[in-house]
Amino acid sequence: MRQIIKYSLLILGAVVFAYPFLWMFAASLKPEIEIGGFSLWSSNLSFKNYEQVFARIPIARAFFNSIIVSCSTTLSVIVFGSMIGYALARLNFRGRNALYYLILFTMMIPFQITLIPQYVLMVKLGITDTYLALIAPTMISTLGIVMFRQFFMSIPQALIDAARIDGCSDFRIIFAVIWPLSRPVVITVAILSFMASWNEVLWPIIVVRERTLMTLPQIVTLFTIGGQSEALLGLQLAAATLLALPIIIAYSFFQRYFIDSMVSSGVKG
Amino acid sequence: MKKYKTKYDWSAYLLVLPYIIFFLMFAAYPLVFSLVLVFHRWDIVTPMQWVGLKNFMRLINDPLFFKSIVNTLTFLFIHIPLQIVVALGFAMILNSKLKYRSVFRTIYFLPVVVSGVVVTILWQQLYSFDSGLLNRLLTVIGIPRIPWIVSPEMAMPSVAIMATWKNVGIYIIMFLVGLQNISAELYESSNIDGASRFQQFFSITLPLLNPTIVVVLVLSTIGGFSLFIEPYVLTGGGPMQSTLSAVLYIYNQAFYFSHMGYAATLGLVFAVVIFAVIMIQKKTVEMDSTV
Amino acid sequence: MIKYILSLCVSIIIIGCSEKSADETAISNDIVTLTYWPAPNPQEVQLADSIVKEWNRLNPNIHVKMQPIPVSQSTEEVLLAAIAGRTTPDVCSNIWPGALAEFTRLGGLIDLDRFTDFDSAITSRTPKELAESLRDPNGHFYQMPWKTNPVMMLYNKRLFEASGVSAVPRTYSEFYESAKKVTRDIDGDGQTDIWMGERDIRPIWWQRWFDYYCFYIAASNGKTFFVNGELDLDEEASTKVLEFFRTCYAENYFPHTYFQGGDPFLLERKATIFVGSNQIATLKTLAPDLRFGVAPIPVPDNHCGPVYTYGDYKNIAIFSTTKHPQEAWEFVKYLIQTKYDLMLLQIANQIPIRQDLLSNPVFAGYFNNNPMMVEFAQQAVYTRSVDAAPDLKEIFDALSQEYEASAVYGRKSPVDATLSAQKRIKVIVDWNK
Repeated sequence: MRQIIKYSLLILGAVVFAYPFLWMFAASLKPEIEIGGFSLWSSNLSFKNYEQVFARIPIARAFFNSIIVSCSTTLSVIVFGSMIGYALARLNFRGRNALYYLILFTMMIPFQITLIPQYVLMVKLGITDTYLALIAPTMISTLGIVMFRQFFMSIPQALIDAARIDGCSDFRIIFAVIWPLSRPVVITVAILSFMASWNEVLWPIIVVRERTLMTLPQIVTLFTIGGQSEALLGLQLAAATLLALPIIIAYSFFQRYFIDSMVSSGVKG
Repeated sequence: MKKYKTKYDWSAYLLVLPYIIFFLMFAAYPLVFSLVLVFHRWDIVTPMQWVGLKNFMRLINDPLFFKSIVNTLTFLFIHIPLQIVVALGFAMILNSKLKYRSVFRTIYFLPVVVSGVVVTILWQQLYSFDSGLLNRLLTVIGIPRIPWIVSPEMAMPSVAIMATWKNVGIYIIMFLVGLQNISAELYESSNIDGASRFQQFFSITLPLLNPTIVVVLVLSTIGGFSLFIEPYVLTGGGPMQSTLSAVLYIYNQAFYFSHMGYAATLGLVFAVVIFAVIMIQKKTVEMDSTV
Repeated sequence: MIKYILSLCVSIIIIGCSEKSADETAISNDIVTLTYWPAPNPQEVQLADSIVKEWNRLNPNIHVKMQPIPVSQSTEEVLLAAIAGRTTPDVCSNIWPGALAEFTRLGGLIDLDRFTDFDSAITSRTPKELAESLRDPNGHFYQMPWKTNPVMMLYNKRLFEASGVSAVPRTYSEFYESAKKVTRDIDGDGQTDIWMGERDIRPIWWQRWFDYYCFYIAASNGKTFFVNGELDLDEEASTKVLEFFRTCYAENYFPHTYFQGGDPFLLERKATIFVGSNQIATLKTLAPDLRFGVAPIPVPDNHCGPVYTYGDYKNIAIFSTTKHPQEAWEFVKYLIQTKYDLMLLQIANQIPIRQDLLSNPVFAGYFNNNPMMVEFAQQAVYTRSVDAAPDLKEIFDALSQEYEASAVYGRKSPVDATLSAQKRIKVIVDWNK
């Protein structure tokens, strides 16, 4: 009996968390008047709304922009994170502890205080409306550094000594020796970084005004609250579906990694 | 004592140099410049103007800023307990020996990975007074329709509910992990002692989950203080500025009215508020855990 | 020897070239080039094109180059950026009085009253009161009045007739009476189908020009918010206006949500709208069968005197970067000629600010063909703009919030909302001092 209650609740939960997405997709295919209905089916399904979205906003371009920005950011976070994490974990240098505390300190600075001056910096450097402005502020992730450092501290010293005897420079040690062993942490940091960058919308709204440079969530946001969607729900839902699609596809292949990454980041943070 | 020379790895400086540059540009400079900006008036286009303490004087007389902070705190007070209760509830159910656990996990986690913009556009429809799914459901059951985002009283709670729906997945799993770390023996031995499930929950489960609860609390709080895109898209800050979050107000001052100096002042004061709240949280939680 | 010849040649060449450029300078000194920026909409660009072509033909020595204002977020932002970057044109005919404070703060415009014939130019054209309202607090004039778009009430004749409204409402009480008759549920589904009016309930700052602000100017007999640069809100007028809208929302003459699915006035779902003159052409194009009329904005019951309203002015100014102020002034005077004012009416359906609009035979033909524009022309004399106050956007934003609280949601009394708005505007003004 207990089991039945438990399963019912879980299924209810599943409906609550999943049905809205299915409804959203179905509604984007329905004609405008029918959108208010519960059913996922209609006799008048069409992709008209999607055609309209592609016609009205440069959404494919925005997708491309998001890919470029997120991939670059993720790559940069991983490279720099492992470099600095390695230095903090395995190398000895004056100021090492101070640097680590500095990194922890900067993790605590609320972005609300740095947001405006950071924008001003972009303006002064003349790089607003560029990919650089979107990538630069998140090129190095303090969380990433901490995670890499923690992982690297657990690598057996013997391995590193052996590589050094072979004459490897630090760079080679990091990228040729340690990395192959670091799959879990690299994947974790990569997923966290990619997701954060992909879904980021406040910063792009601030530094990018040029439509051809906007990221995917940014252009969907402006499409919804600007006049272009003309308060037509079908268009807005279609745009939202397009925005959700890439991440959902990635999620369906890599669920475990997504879940593990985000949960472990919380625990460590 | 034998004095030995510590071997220094000079190559380390090369490795950490990128971070030093990054720190200077994106941490040190913004912090320092924000302290400069708060004493000036600037709209980016025209030259900066020294205004002394005027921004602070204005802040004191700005009921909208205080409202935005109250709104943000209201959000937190509704969102966080709701989140903890729901997450813990589902985690506890999932903790038993059930089939398809990973399927449920995957589904519950889905809203977490999609963008907040998607969730907001979706819920904008769900919350619609006339044609939204939620009100349709209520009408079918026979309950009067709720003015989710058109009533100044209901709007922020609606935002909080939506935010809970989006994020609870992570916390379900965190609690699940925490629960699974509690040794089954504890429950068994308390069973022998005749403890009811109720007592077990409060004397075993909760205390041992404390570290997880703390993490959930801190993460939710930090997330809550960044509330921006949901009110921005869902309600524009209304109705009657009831969903105007602090970040949204700062954004409006900076980018809608071009008051860079004043916005920086608001940001600074808000950061102090955040700090204070987190300190208070730490103190209260530390008190709890020593009990 | 060779070196000597070489340097001689070089010198000759150099002198020759500089002679040429001296000649060229002499020639280019004779031709003055002015840059003129009209508003970037097609009608005004067309008008500007005609004006500039004719001017260049008549004045070969003063060449005017016409460039529509670069399209961006708003023309005010573009102009402000141009002033800051010293890239302004000589003349611009899209100067909004509300942005004037920003422009003059940066010293971007020249005072037009320095020209000896400015006085006669402005008094022959503009009614004195209106002209005075465009004077800057520091005593100078930085803008030449050009055109306005008065806000009046358009009403659906068929809906009025069908519900038994015989006379067009002029006062608040008459408006309520008409509203009671007009607002009703036709198909019996419990939801109102025909509304007396409808306004955007979101507190968007410029929306207030089409409800609170135009009504306030009417109720206060032509007062705006500032007098001589100081805040001087007509509290009584403000309270009455808020009370009016509050009643409309409380009695459900106006809906509390926004319409989806098309313009309700076109669809004959609402009986009145408050819009500017340039809407008439649009309405006629989109709904040729719609029968509608024009009337002044309703006023409080005990009102006497003419009915004022808000007019979206666009004026002409000369920027301080100009190297030829006198020539620029000649061009400005040329712009405001009768024949071009007529073209303004014909092409853009906007009202030029002229006292003799209805008396001058040049315009008679146009007004015979467009009788509704006569109403707007009569109203044009009794319009007011926004004040040239700094941070106007934020002032109207604060006002919108008080309006929302009091009129739309009925949470604040009109008196409280007025006082609160006044306080908040004062804070903004003080911050800008």
